[in-house]
Amino acid sequence: MTQLSVKPRKEPLLVRMKRFSAFYLFLLIPLAQVIIFNYMPMYGIQIAFKDYKMRRGINGSSWAGLEHFQKMFSDTTFYQVLGNTLRLSLESTLIIFPATVIFALMMNELRAGKFKRVTQTITYLPHFLSWVVVGGFVTQVLSPTNGVLNFLLVKLGILDQPVYFMIEPSAFDAIYILSSMWKELGWGVIIYLATISGIDPTLYEAASIDGAGRFKKVRHITFPSILPTVTTMLILQMGTIMSVGFDPIFNLYTPGTYSTADVISTYVYRRGLLDTKYDYTTAIGLFQNVVSLTLVLLSNWIARKATPDYRIF
Amino acid sequence: MKAKALSRRRFRAADGSVGGTVFDIFNYAFITLFCISILFPMWDMIVQSLSRAEDISYMSLNLWPKHVTLDGYKYVFSDKLLFIAFRNSILRTAIGSAYHLVVCCLAAYTMTRHEMPFLKVFTGIFLITMFFSGGMIPAYLNIKNLGLLENFLVYVLPGGFSMYNTIIIRNYFFSIDRSLEESATIDGANSLQIMVKIILPLSLPVLATVGLWQMVAQWNSWFDNMVYCRSDNLITLQYMLKRITNNIASLTDSSSQYAMMMEQSMVFTPQSIIACTTVITVVPIICVYPFLQKYFVKGIMLGAVKG
Repeated sequence: MTQLSVKPRKEPLLVRMKRFSAFYLFLLIPLAQVIIFNYMPMYGIQIAFKDYKMRRGINGSSWAGLEHFQKMFSDTTFYQVLGNTLRLSLESTLIIFPATVIFALMMNELRAGKFKRVTQTITYLPHFLSWVVVGGFVTQVLSPTNGVLNFLLVKLGILDQPVYFMIEPSAFDAIYILSSMWKELGWGVIIYLATISGIDPTLYEAASIDGAGRFKKVRHITFPSILPTVTTMLILQMGTIMSVGFDPIFNLYTPGTYSTADVISTYVYRRGLLDTKYDYTTAIGLFQNVVSLTLVLLSNWIARKATPDYRIF
Repeated sequence: MKAKALSRRRFRAADGSVGGTVFDIFNYAFITLFCISILFPMWDMIVQSLSRAEDISYMSLNLWPKHVTLDGYKYVFSDKLLFIAFRNSILRTAIGSAYHLVVCCLAAYTMTRHEMPFLKVFTGIFLITMFFSGGMIPAYLNIKNLGLLENFLVYVLPGGFSMYNTIIIRNYFFSIDRSLEESATIDGANSLQIMVKIILPLSLPVLATVGLWQMVAQWNSWFDNMVYCRSDNLITLQYMLKRITNNIASLTDSSSQYAMMMEQSMVFTPQSIIACTTVITVVPIICVYPFLQKYFVKGIMLGAVKG
């Protein structure tokens, strides 16, 4: 194997390239793909600095300098959606992330058998549903006319009359966090369960002989073993702090909850695609992309420093 | 299964302590409750889809339809648009995933040639797409300029390549013994023949994983439908559901919150139409779920351990 890969170095470049001609042909389709659908939109980012006119096109429109960015930083709605974005992603990091780790430890304490298999099957399932479907479930559960939550709260005497939670701005954070957990908690534990299944069983045996009980074993063996994975996942999560997914917000918010639910991506969609303010919203998108890119690269770099085995590639 | 034997052994060793038993009761109860909370909304949808309009009344909870009726489904299926949506969803899932696999495999196989000149440059071009994108608006304008608005290809082409999936496939290709390729080369096979006849058949697990990944993504996507294709001819199931839900939400927003009650005087409540459409949208996912569970869990490991 090695002889083959060492020998060609002696040959001139063109001869070597000719030998791989088939592979250059293979690359044509993927390259065309990324050039047309990834790099051409990147070229279009320049309209963030232009006064974009549809009939003049990207190249024909005149330059506007930093006008759109100045407008952005004096747009009160922009500050609101930026605040919502940061608040919602911070909340998911603080609540959903630890909940996933705890849930993984809880799942691991189940006896292997039918119950464990069935619960895994059930908890993975919502991951495969689209947010449109999940949004429909949430709307139904919270419905003021025949939703189960209002039914229970009224029957138990906690509420006097049903509340329309979906148009209640103060309820949005809870709706967002709980429905995200409903959808992804079961799926999120897989990576931790896999790490746990790789722990050397003799560690537990030795701990038993030393008289360690069940909780001591979790505390001193299971938890430290998954800690590197936890650290890596947490650092990577920090890289996404500037972006809240479009899908969950768009399928959970209503005009009544825009004040707490509207995030950058949904704002860009409404101002940009519905109100056709292409140039201004491209500027907002660029701002978000640049900050996100910085955070992702930074968090990847930290993850690589913090955990030596960690590699993305 | 090593893991199974392990946890059984661990449990027996821990048996008997009071704290452990209390914890177990709490743990099993909590996980059972969580599972019920996942299943209940799904069950509720099924019950509503099978209920008569007059049985879904204000502030009531039916754990079982009072009178089972298929009228809701009959009504939904009488809409020709549903068949168009079903056809489009199936087409985009099949064609989109197949095309995605072809493009990613071509890139992945090429990326196993370390000694190929300029490979690093190409890899770099692909890698950048993982970290930076034009964003929603430039992507839209690009599609518009390409003339792909109101075109079925917009469901297939933009998602044709993914560097993440390519890396996962490439890592699997690396695990295949290179000497197989060498002997095929001696027998006169060219690179394409080697890839199709030797490499791909040996990579079925990873191809199934990535293929299913893409199929679920295709089946579940609706944003491209909403933004790029307004015509009814190109509607997909997910966006059809979104549209029905939206119409009813705007109805309840504009009038009082009890507009839904008044709606119930109709033969079919919007509620039961949503319920039927939701069930129709979810059933195909449930049907392939056993495969999904098997390959997706594997896929996550391919991405995490090797990736």
